[in-house]
Amino acid sequence: MVPARPPFEDLYREYLGRIYSYVRAQVGAAADAEDITAQVFMNAYQAYARFEARNTTPAAWLFRIARNATLDHFRAGGRRERLRRTIEHQPLAEEDPAGQAEERIQYRALLAHVAQLPERQRDAISLRHSGLSFEEVGGLLGCSEDAAKMLYHRAVKALKEAVRKEEV
Amino acid sequence: MSDQDDDLELQALQRELDDAFATTRPRRGFEDELWLHMQARRPVSTRFADAIAGLFQGIREAPRVPAAAVASILVVAIGAGLLLSSGLHGGGGGSTASLSAGDGSKRNGGEYLPTFGQVPAPPQDNSVPSAVYAGPAHLVWSGKLNLSISTAPVFRYQEPTVNASDQFATSLGAALVDRPSGYLGSYRATTYTLKVRGTVQTPPSSPAYFIFANLGMPEIDAAGATSQGLADIFLAGHSLAPQWTYTVAVDSSGDPVKVVYQRQFDVPGYGPANLVDVNGVRYGLEVDISGRRPVLATGLLPVSLDRADYSIISADQAIQQAVAPQMGPVTGVTVPTVQLTQAELVYVLVPAGDHSFYEPAFLFSGTFQVGGATRIKRVLVAAVDPSQRSS
Repeated sequence: MVPARPPFEDLYREYLGRIYSYVRAQVGAAADAEDITAQVFMNAYQAYARFEARNTTPAAWLFRIARNATLDHFRAGGRRERLRRTIEHQPLAEEDPAGQAEERIQYRALLAHVAQLPERQRDAISLRHSGLSFEEVGGLLGCSEDAAKMLYHRAVKALKEAVRKEEV
Repeated sequence: MSDQDDDLELQALQRELDDAFATTRPRRGFEDELWLHMQARRPVSTRFADAIAGLFQGIREAPRVPAAAVASILVVAIGAGLLLSSGLHGGGGGSTASLSAGDGSKRNGGEYLPTFGQVPAPPQDNSVPSAVYAGPAHLVWSGKLNLSISTAPVFRYQEPTVNASDQFATSLGAALVDRPSGYLGSYRATTYTLKVRGTVQTPPSSPAYFIFANLGMPEIDAAGATSQGLADIFLAGHSLAPQWTYTVAVDSSGDPVKVVYQRQFDVPGYGPANLVDVNGVRYGLEVDISGRRPVLATGLLPVSLDRADYSIISADQAIQQAVAPQMGPVTGVTVPTVQLTQAELVYVLVPAGDHSFYEPAFLFSGTFQVGGATRIKRVLVAAVDPSQRSS
């Protein structure tokens, strides 16, 4: 039996926050994250008629679109330059309490570390902590479920080292 | 460090990551703005936020007043950089409601007494949006302001409750979904999502509802109907037609077309006075039409208004306050002289906690040239006599 396709608005309301946080962890800057998130849902909206619930979960489908949009974003502008700009211009939370409340980010520093990991490690952490199963993470990254688990655990260790280095 | 410690650290980090991803969310309002944008099927530009800024002005809270360096506590000078070529124009013929007081106004045997005690002064906001002119200006009055009244009604309402919000939603056939931060409730109907919000203190913004159409919202089948006609049909079909006096303005400069029902208050001896926001812009109820489909409706949440008459300042006093210097001498820059040529009595929202007020004010306006563009200068002067107003 083919699973029913939920109304797109339900999908939108359920996943907007998760897609945004995934993108935000990739690109660092809130404005870029909004742009990309908007693009993700515009693309999904247009493609929803072709979405086959029997082939994939809505989450995996949306995160695939999000991942592609994020990669496009980096290809277009150059990730290094964007990170530099983000680090230089992003105010510290203490300096901008209003901005902090607006963005509703409590772990800015941690996400900044995630954003600086190698691409696949960054993806593995972001996708996993956005609620995807290892099977779905593997599907998106083109590897097996076990390989996704290994990649994820290596990524978390790398992140821990990065955080520790900064604390020293 | 032992392996056990290492594992504990990793687990702690994973918990932090869970929290980080669970709590990182876009700014408030983004979700609805984007949804509306998708409904309107407009292309996404490279800077989405910029694109929606103009498109969805209606669902944002009232813009801040650019009232830099206002000297008098009674005068709010608005250097609104509004180009005269704006597509907003009067629709005409829409003033169909009777010139009675607003929702549930109470009369005291035909006389209105200042029963609210001292009313609060209209708030000021010294922030200056980058897009508007708020520089120094010499203001000169060269118009004509005839005023034959010495009192005008002040309206007061009690802050709407969650119950009132739920009742409003129920009357539309919408069911409660949740109560997101900043709203009294979020509701779902077959063809739209409804959100209801109370008074916003700063910048002042009236209690309002927002209807966001979903994909199930049908096109309105009315051959030959104008945008206003489509909006009228939509509102009538949802029992949302304004119960107050209004004029209609239609902005057809883009997609969606915006049909605005501008609320008015009846002032005995004067006539209808427009409700304006802190920038002097009229508002009330807006319906956005894309194609033949309503995509957004945002309007004043019905509230019960109490009414009392208050003494107001004279025309001469209002003019004097409007043109009073707003700042000390300015050196090194060319200060434009702006001729204020028009003035009207308007109403402004004055939030005051549990009870808020709609108070009369004088809105002065005039045009001037900046960099070859014609702009409007607006000045709001509180009308209630200072002796009947708290500071």
